[in-house]
Amino acid sequence: MVEPLLQLAGVSKAYYGQAVLSDVSFEIAPGEVFGYIGPNGAGKTTTLKILAGLITTYDGVVRIGGVDVKTGRDRAHALIGFMPQACGFQSWRTVESALDTLADLSGVPADVRARRIPALLERFDLLAARGKKVKELSGGMTQKLGLIQALLHEPKLLVLDEPLEGLDPPSRRLLQEVLRERRAAGTTVLFSSHILSDIEDVADRVGILNRGKVATTGSIRDLTRAFGLPPELELAFSVAPADLGFLADPAVIGAGGRAVAERPDAWRLTLATDADPDAVVHALVERTLAGGGRVRKVGVAEPALDDLFARYILESDRAAGLTVPAPAAPAGGPDGN
Amino acid sequence: MATSPTLRLLRDELVGFARSRVMIVLWVVLPLLAILGYLLFTSSAEVAAGMGGDHKMSANAFMTFLLSSLAGTVAALMVAVDIVSERTRKVYELYVIRPIRREAIIWAKFLAVAACVVVACVVAIALGIAVDVARGDPFTATIAYDALKGLASLTAVVSLSAAVGTFFGVISRTILVAVILVLYVGQNLTIVPMLPMYFGILPRQFWVIMAISYALVAVMAWLSAVVFRRSQF
Repeated sequence: MVEPLLQLAGVSKAYYGQAVLSDVSFEIAPGEVFGYIGPNGAGKTTTLKILAGLITTYDGVVRIGGVDVKTGRDRAHALIGFMPQACGFQSWRTVESALDTLADLSGVPADVRARRIPALLERFDLLAARGKKVKELSGGMTQKLGLIQALLHEPKLLVLDEPLEGLDPPSRRLLQEVLRERRAAGTTVLFSSHILSDIEDVADRVGILNRGKVATTGSIRDLTRAFGLPPELELAFSVAPADLGFLADPAVIGAGGRAVAERPDAWRLTLATDADPDAVVHALVERTLAGGGRVRKVGVAEPALDDLFARYILESDRAAGLTVPAPAAPAGGPDGN
Repeated sequence: MATSPTLRLLRDELVGFARSRVMIVLWVVLPLLAILGYLLFTSSAEVAAGMGGDHKMSANAFMTFLLSSLAGTVAALMVAVDIVSERTRKVYELYVIRPIRREAIIWAKFLAVAACVVVACVVAIALGIAVDVARGDPFTATIAYDALKGLASLTAVVSLSAAVGTFFGVISRTILVAVILVLYVGQNLTIVPMLPMYFGILPRQFWVIMAISYALVAVMAWLSAVVFRRSQF
């Protein structure tokens, strides 16, 4: 069995008697990209700061490459590249000076720094800004600089706290590409994000943190199965049939199914857990054609990470005995149109 | 051979300070204003040295007198405010996560501020001597000796103040608290090296004051390191 690169065992942390993390345990295998998600205040940043050695007082054990972070701080730090949620640089520094110092402190030799820094700046489209003072950079550029400083010493484990926050769509795509490249090069990545669709695109596995506890980790497919989410269908018309009543007909979509209009010509149907999606697709096409309509697109929709996340939070809050408001009625259903 | 983290950070801090506006003010503007004040002061009132003596106060003596009351405060405030400000802006997180001793970060800051303020003292005293010479006073060996002794005293005061400022910077979470601590507590701590002489415990000698000052600098630097090592970010 492959030795995990990162191990958290029973990690707990409290501030002024208030538990922020409670018995958090998970492992990440070498080369894996792990998405760490949770609502605001769940303890994601605290977990990542513990890994990075910014928080040193906690209960439990954190090992990076088999090295306990508490006792072998320097050896563990040599393996990790960390990008904090907000990266601060001394305002008088230029981009190049900031990176050169940080790389030097990470033990990167001068000749390697001279090659690697321009290469990384070019990769992140910041080469033209190498002589600029850090305080002159935009928020997105500073965010990229924060990522570059984490990559300088080619760490085995890359820990990124909300790396996509504040980036424009092209930069987000660039970052996703870089993460894929790193994964291909064998780097292990742990990153948190609120933008779940971005995690979904690059993460091999996700861990969901709520109220300081990680109750579940797994691939998105595993989590879908574990949560028993009902199958969903996407249906789009090029010509909508005159009567859309069949979208609410239990004989078509099964008992317990429901349809929600995403646009006037596009619908999302949530079926009962035991429904046969293929049979429903067949019935939908048949009824559309019979009603004089034409189907542009129909198929099974994979549940989004947002759905899994929402479902998990809902269920864990219910299990904790917390009051959970009933879900709002779907807008734009067949009856409502 | 790889540079030690403290030296690397010290070099960077010195470059940073040297390029900052604060240093232009400290090295150029303030000495010029001080000497201008001296020239106006002495030409209008011809006030005697020692506040009432028979001899006119030299520019060199005026600058040393002025610096003895200002340089320590400037050094302590600079280092304390800088540490709190950089910590608030999360600058240290990127250093602390690297495989270096945490104290290297604040020791570099302390050494850089102390060095910059000492340079400011050298500039101011040299300017004072230059003005004296330009006004016809001869530059004698005694004057050179007194200037060097004054500079040595100032260096000790600046070092101790900067060390105290570093400690208050490390323990404070806001700039206001750091400033209050430096002004109300730090200023009193810098007279500690004189106390054994006042109470007759130790001989009233220059080297004794220097030794006590630098021992206190070491203690404050060590205390700052201990607190900074235990800091949570």
